Amino acid sequence: MTTRKPSYQEAMNEIEELLAKIESDEPDIDDLAEKVRRVATLIRFCRDKLTKTSEEVEKILGEMETEETN
Amino acid sequence: MTLLELNTLIRNTLQDAFPSTLWVVAEISEMKVNRSGHCYLELVEKDEATDELTARARATIWSYTFRMVRSYFETTTGQPLGEGIKILAQVSVDYHPSYGLSLNIKDIDPTYTLGDLSRKRREIIRRLEEAGVFHMNRELPLPLVPQRIAVISSATAAGYQDFADQLGRNAYGFHFEHRLFEAFMQGSEAVPSILAALDAIFREEEAFDAVAILRGGGSQADLSCFDHFDLAYAVAQFPLPVVTGIGHEKDETIVDLVAHTRQKTPTAVAEFFIAGLLRFSERLEELERSVVAATREILEAREEELEGATFRLRGAFERHTRLAESRLRRGGQRLLTGSSRLLYREKQELHRQRFRLSAATSGITGEERHRTKQAERELRHAIRRLLGKEESTLGHLSSQFRRRIRQKLADNRRILDHAAQTARMLDPGEILRRGFTLTRQNGKTLRSAATADPHSPLTTLFADGTTQSQIIKTTLYDHPETLLPGGHE
Repeated sequence: MTTRKPSYQEAMNEIEELLAKIESDEPDIDDLAEKVRRVATLIRFCRDKLTKTSEEVEKILGEMETEETN
Repeated sequence: MTLLELNTLIRNTLQDAFPSTLWVVAEISEMKVNRSGHCYLELVEKDEATDELTARARATIWSYTFRMVRSYFETTTGQPLGEGIKILAQVSVDYHPSYGLSLNIKDIDPTYTLGDLSRKRREIIRRLEEAGVFHMNRELPLPLVPQRIAVISSATAAGYQDFADQLGRNAYGFHFEHRLFEAFMQGSEAVPSILAALDAIFREEEAFDAVAILRGGGSQADLSCFDHFDLAYAVAQFPLPVVTGIGHEKDETIVDLVAHTRQKTPTAVAEFFIAGLLRFSERLEELERSVVAATREILEAREEELEGATFRLRGAFERHTRLAESRLRRGGQRLLTGSSRLLYREKQELHRQRFRLSAATSGITGEERHRTKQAERELRHAIRRLLGKEESTLGHLSSQFRRRIRQKLADNRRILDHAAQTARMLDPGEILRRGFTLTRQNGKTLRSAATADPHSPLTTLFADGTTQSQIIKTTLYDHPETLLPGGHE
């Protein structure tokens, strides 16, 4: 693995941390948007990893592209 | 004596010594079944402590007996009758002059084997507990998402196919990575091959979340390898959680006991992993809902704050506006009352007329035109009246002004008359005419007797001429202020 993606555990930790912040503090709206966006990214990452859709689809697309260029 | 005579003697002696059958405890060290179904075994006894052979004997089970004994034994114990099994057998001691000594097994009591097996099991469990490994695998945390699974099974086992199908067809679309590490799942090769598979997985430990040990279901066959100390020891100590699906309904094997999780069938193992992913997926959903709810709450709170502020602002603005309006109105009223009442009324009237005029002109009908004309007349009349009144005001003002100026002129004249009278009284000619004279000496007016030169002539000025005279005597008064000039002469 060249670029280290977060593990499920790391992703969950970060999500729960962000949630705790959102629930406890009162972040200003800009900050809130940032946090929510990050949570959404992490959740999407986990979901994709569970089903491997994005990775697999990308792999297939990549293969198709190289076939086309050859 | 010939050898045959000797052997015959031995046989007869043995027959006399062992007239009936005996129950003997022994371990099967070798077992073969020939084509006619007869079973040939080697029975041994070992020293408990040293494991050294202390006794050995050949044995046979004739085919008819063997069929019955074996099936009864295997259904009762769940164990195959085979090597390594300790049995309690009813035997007759046979001696054949040419084949030698052999024990003929008439019956086997499986309850002894059961007891022996459970004793052995207890012994293995005790050893595992003493080594401190018994609970080790169970204490490993199952990964949050057990998605990469190393499978130990045989490729052809139905159980392995069930497992792979179940994972691949899961309803949630979860993706699993699983790799088969082939091993024998029964027989004498089972323990070493499973140990080798565990070793291979251990070398790639990082690539997996869990290990599944799967064995095709159905028949109650040989499970003894899963009660093996070495295998149980390896499984207990394995750094990844081990899930078993060995496919048997009876007692758990020792490997089941030390494994992280025991499932009955390979299909159940697959379900177990799917449930793990599902739990995680649900946790994700829950977190997502929480984040959305918390965010919405914050946004709503902000919105309410904003609304509140807007409301307050609007209120304040309206109050200010009302205040300013009322001030303006008051100011305007004062302005109006301050200005001429007449002008105000006329203006009002004008406005009214203009309004009526415009109202009249907007919808033109004959009657309205008539009313318009009347309004025009009224308006003209009003204007004329207004102008007349203004003129009269102006006339009044100018007559007042003229009166004032006249009065001022009369006053001035009186002041001038008085001044002329005073001036007349002070005229030197007049004074001279009233009897006063002016005395001069050496061309200067003489104002004091003391300054008069007694030797120079005096010139006395009268109103009608002058006289020259000489000073005869000069008398100075002691109290000059007592005499008024021109007093009593």
